[in-house]
Amino acid sequence: MTATIDTQTAQPGALSHAGTRVGARPTVGEVLAVTALLLLVVAAIAPWLLTPFDPLAISPREAFQVPSFTHWFGTDESGRDVFARMIYGTRPSLIIGVAATAIGLVLALILGMLAGLGPRPVDYAVTRVGEVLFALPGLLLALIFITITGPGVVTSTIAVGIATAPGYARIIRSQLRAVRDAPFIEAATVLGRSRFTILRRHTLPNAIAPVFVLATLGVGQAIVWAASLSYLGLGAEPPAAEWGAMLNAGRTYISTAWWLTVFPGLFIVLAAAASTALGRSLQARTRQVQS
Amino acid sequence: MRAPAHFAHRSIAAAAGITALTLLLAGCTPAAQQNTEPTAGGTLVYASGDAEPTCLDPHVGGNYPQALIATQYLESLVSKDADGQIIPWLATAWEPAEDGLSWKFQLRDDVTFTDGTPFNAEAVQANVEHLLDPATTSSTGYLALGKVASTDIVDEHTIRFNLSTPDSALLDSLSMPWVAIQSPTALARGMDVNCESPVGTGPFIVTDWKRQDSITLVRNDDYNSPPADAEHDGPAYLDEIVWRFIPDSASRFAALQSGQVDVIDNAQPSDIAAAEGQGITDLDAPRPGASNRIELNSGKAPFDDIRVREAFIRAADVNDGIEALFFGTADRSFSVLSSVETLGLSAEEHFGIDPDAANALLDEAGWTERDGDGYRVKNGQRLSVDFPVSTNQSIPAEQSLFEQIQAAVKQVGFEVRLKPMDLSSWYSTLIGNDYNLVSAPYTKVGPDVLRILYHSDSITPAPSGYFANLAQLNDPEVDALLTEASQVTDADERAALYAEVQELILSGFYALPLYDQQNHFLVGGNVSGLRAMPTVSTPTFYDAWLAR
Repeated sequence: MTATIDTQTAQPGALSHAGTRVGARPTVGEVLAVTALLLLVVAAIAPWLLTPFDPLAISPREAFQVPSFTHWFGTDESGRDVFARMIYGTRPSLIIGVAATAIGLVLALILGMLAGLGPRPVDYAVTRVGEVLFALPGLLLALIFITITGPGVVTSTIAVGIATAPGYARIIRSQLRAVRDAPFIEAATVLGRSRFTILRRHTLPNAIAPVFVLATLGVGQAIVWAASLSYLGLGAEPPAAEWGAMLNAGRTYISTAWWLTVFPGLFIVLAAAASTALGRSLQARTRQVQS
Repeated sequence: MRAPAHFAHRSIAAAAGITALTLLLAGCTPAAQQNTEPTAGGTLVYASGDAEPTCLDPHVGGNYPQALIATQYLESLVSKDADGQIIPWLATAWEPAEDGLSWKFQLRDDVTFTDGTPFNAEAVQANVEHLLDPATTSSTGYLALGKVASTDIVDEHTIRFNLSTPDSALLDSLSMPWVAIQSPTALARGMDVNCESPVGTGPFIVTDWKRQDSITLVRNDDYNSPPADAEHDGPAYLDEIVWRFIPDSASRFAALQSGQVDVIDNAQPSDIAAAEGQGITDLDAPRPGASNRIELNSGKAPFDDIRVREAFIRAADVNDGIEALFFGTADRSFSVLSSVETLGLSAEEHFGIDPDAANALLDEAGWTERDGDGYRVKNGQRLSVDFPVSTNQSIPAEQSLFEQIQAAVKQVGFEVRLKPMDLSSWYSTLIGNDYNLVSAPYTKVGPDVLRILYHSDSITPAPSGYFANLAQLNDPEVDALLTEASQVTDADERAALYAEVQELILSGFYALPLYDQQNHFLVGGNVSGLRAMPTVSTPTFYDAWLAR
């Protein structure tokens, strides 16, 4: 009995065990970050709630209008409402960030488990390949992938995902290695649990929880990378509204129409900052729990 | 994160530039105005937004960036004046034979290349041979001399061009910088060396080339061969030109505003508008040859049906877009030829906007159903057209205009799939016939460009795979008119033939003309005397001088 209790307290079920700490009073920063993210989620799911304008409605005669009560963020070079384009652009921008991170995580899980749980030669091979990929900056990896497959939203999402995978894989592997020799695993083994049960109930939850926290941080980074790729003309295709592509389109008019670059830039910063802030506080809270 | 930081830096630089310029103007405008006599001396900095040439000899390949810089150090046999008339340059007189199959050129006898080699008939012959030699890999110059079979040296300063068929465009062709005359001694050094430091008879000499940075040109003090329409004689005023490459348009404009550079090319419409009132002048020099137009690929569905082509053109409302996006710097064109071509035919009547007529035409052509997204459908096929766009060749304003066309023709049921891509992907898309719409600029002196763009021979790909007849216009009547026009010697007859063939092209709805090939140079307040050559609209710095 005591042994069973021991394993349970040491488990990262520990996360929920320390529920009182995780639910401690949120800071102002956290409230702001969560509010911003919630607004972005609303914009992504139901953009028509936030703006009456069609993001694709062209009206050349109304081009380059400064921000006003009608057009909060002004109009662009084709007379489209910039606020509407920002709002409608949230979905592709966020989806790319989230999907890219998810792709990166899945890839990393496979690679990390191969390395962390597999036999030594497999571990060696996977780790070395990971190190080679580490030598290349993530964005460069993404660019190489796009050069091979051609531009587009899908390929740039996959590209960013692939670029983030080596980092996560390394963390998963070292977590798995650390957990594998932990006393509670030994205890579970002694209690006669099957290898699969141990893997499912004890090893994986312990090893992977920190990675999910990191992934929250990663979403922010992935949004920025995806925007960078669109900015380079390798992501969204016209006339789709996407923040990076809008930033690039507005670049030409930076000396005459500041609102075409300032607002897309602000939104990218906002989304990246909010998800990063949330990730950091999640990280801090789980670390408190673990210590 | 990188990008916004970059912007901040740039806009601070721009703001600082504007402030500096304002102070400068406030301080010394009266002094600058007093000085109207050309003064010699000084270094002018030119900033180009075009790709840096890989070879400074414009015989090799032959693109516009090469022509821009080669205009400063190479000269042609003939030139053009502002009225479009051919005028003497290195050749003083010329005469075709009775049958039109040969032309005799009298050459200047007092000109020397900057390496000391004398300019004579032998030099011209060596240049023609160089251009026609496959090893030179000349494209533009090679095409321009397509009908030249051989040359004969009549005497030291007289040369005869022998043609395979009469060529009414020969003088136009010879005026272009891609067939400019270089020192035969320099050509003999081999391609690699000649690409680094070509030698001509021009007012400047190439002395240094720092790759990815700049090319230095110094004055030719022995210069004596300006074209007949130049403002002065003798050497140029400027001591030196530093030819820089600044690909980013915002940085290039900021450098001009701050006085780091004196002249920029590829000026963006918004910058031209912003430059007004800042003491910066706009040199508007539309390129010759074709206008900027969208070709409708008649070689495959759905644009193989003239009704679908007409419907597209009747629905593509571009006038307001051109006005807004180009800030009044570009005039709408209704011709497939540039407005500088005197034989261009402008036919506005074919380009009236009429969505009702467009809808009726599409109904008639069988595109009667509509799908959930509002696009027309026939036999389960959506009315989709692919529009690959070269981001190297289309400026941002033009790409925005294409988006507006996409939105306009959606109203009548067309789905335009805009595909921005880099130059090499764009070429392979065209070569693979994976396009329905395309905008491909083409610069050439004279109306003979029509033969290159619309004769059915140009559907057959060149060895490179590229073909210039992107509308895939294949009409024996058009072919016959173009061939005849390129051979007749009578000017009136030639003009009538070109008018007739242009009417056929425009009324067949093969192309949607937009505006001239835009070629704007912004010139700082301290530069005077800069003009564009009436041949291919490249600026010449021969008459230019700096007020200091």
